[in-house]
Amino acid sequence: MLALQVNGLTKCYGTNTVLAGVDMTLTAGEVLCILGPNGAGKTTFISTILGLVKADSGDIHLLGERQQGITRSNALRQQLGVMMQIGSLSANLTVFEQCDLFSSYYNKGYSAAELVKLAGLEDHSNQRFGRLSGGQKQRLLFALALTAKPKLVFLDEPTLGMDVEARRDLWQLVRQLKQQGVAVVLTTHYLEEAEQLADRIAVLHKGVVVASGSPAELKALTQYKVIRCCSALSDTTLLGLPGVLQLSRDKHLITLHSSYAECTVKALLLADDSVRQLEVRPVALEQAFLQLTQSNNTNEEQAA
Amino acid sequence: MNTIIVYRKEAWYDFVSVWRTPGFVIPSLAFPTVFYLFFGVFLNTGAASTYMLVTYTCFGMMGPAMFNFAMNIASDRAHGWLTLKRLSPMPLGAYLLAKLNTALVFTLVIVVALFSIAALLADVRLVTEQWLLLALVFLLGTLPFALIGLILGLTLSDKAAPGVVNLLYLPMAFLSGLWLPITMLPQALQHAAWLWPSYHVSQIGLKVIGMDQGHALWLHLLILMATSSVLGILAIISFRRLT
Repeated sequence: MLALQVNGLTKCYGTNTVLAGVDMTLTAGEVLCILGPNGAGKTTFISTILGLVKADSGDIHLLGERQQGITRSNALRQQLGVMMQIGSLSANLTVFEQCDLFSSYYNKGYSAAELVKLAGLEDHSNQRFGRLSGGQKQRLLFALALTAKPKLVFLDEPTLGMDVEARRDLWQLVRQLKQQGVAVVLTTHYLEEAEQLADRIAVLHKGVVVASGSPAELKALTQYKVIRCCSALSDTTLLGLPGVLQLSRDKHLITLHSSYAECTVKALLLADDSVRQLEVRPVALEQAFLQLTQSNNTNEEQAA
Repeated sequence: MNTIIVYRKEAWYDFVSVWRTPGFVIPSLAFPTVFYLFFGVFLNTGAASTYMLVTYTCFGMMGPAMFNFAMNIASDRAHGWLTLKRLSPMPLGAYLLAKLNTALVFTLVIVVALFSIAALLADVRLVTEQWLLLALVFLLGTLPFALIGLILGLTLSDKAAPGVVNLLYLPMAFLSGLWLPITMLPQALQHAAWLWPSYHVSQIGLKVIGMDQGHALWLHLLILMATSSVLGILAIISFRRLT
């Protein structure tokens, strides 16, 4: 059974198309990262699935149950965990009180004490939410999202405003969820986060999934690789090598972007047998991502 | 999930959360108390003290009912707390009843405070049934104001809500005869007073002590019930429009 199945989801606000036919699936124990620049439609996508916003068209199945309109059954909500981007609790209630309240909503969820522990806030149990640090607040919200011991979890930009350490702790918790067979949908615009956590990445851009696949597949999708070396060859010769798209020099170190790295390297070695420090690398996911969203822009401009 | 426990916890924590906001609690309780002490006890005696007990209690009850709903719901919306609750299995009724409960607790505190001042300092003498009936009028009379607050809380931003509530609260109190006796207002304003729920609640209260304008009780009740129904429908519509 698929934890999440979305087909042809569309949503417009007036003339502004936010989701233009999004398809997505997710199985148990899988982490899906929805990656995209601000305004790509990530939050709208999650809000639509959860029934906070009414979709214009498309099918939504959650935990095998077809969703109609914006109503989500109580039975379904007992199995969902959600952490929204704008999430703040009542500033005047303590950590324990918030956990106690939230825990009472669920049939088989964690107890208040377990939630406090899950958030790692045992030492701040009696501290009011308003007096917690940004990272502590996020941890509490994350713990509350797990109150249900959910089968499907939505995390909308969960590490926003967290410091490096807090972010790594949260990543660890997401990995644990995955091991427990929980399906996780995570939106982020931190590429490192997607690379660290995702089984699959869907790149959302202007309401369309422009690419989807494992982090490795996404990197392979981009056409070029980066070649670094020290060589005595001139810029003209180097640019003349097969596959080379661009060149940059930093003192002796030459960086080539090649659309066909194997051929470039072969020709390079034939032309200069004194090449040193040769290194061929795939582009970082960040560059892959930029390329995907930019080429999408270019296509649109050409179409227009 | 045990429904009764959810309702109870929701109510308790809503109250606790509001009670820990001195900026809300102190003005809510101080305004009617200070006004009544000043106008009803130090500047007036006898019948005027009794009359003002009703009007100032009504004034005191309206404030927290509207403010608590409007400001807290607007703030829960702005901070995403309401969204998280709506996505959880929490029954919506628990959330709304919790807020109503908090408003009723404030009404009760104000009733006890002003009634005590009246009995102890202003020498207001009523029979037990009158005290109890008055308390009941104000507790039930909290509902339309809670609904007004609910609608404002569901439609306004958290920044706008306090201002708009004040804009409604203070003129409505004045135009319903809660500061100056209604008979001292110009004829046109006395007619216009029929528009305000606070006029009807205060008239029913004044009827208990035999100082009302003499309109039929059922008329006041009917108007209050009709107003509350319309407000209730508007509240449901506002809720459906939330995203």
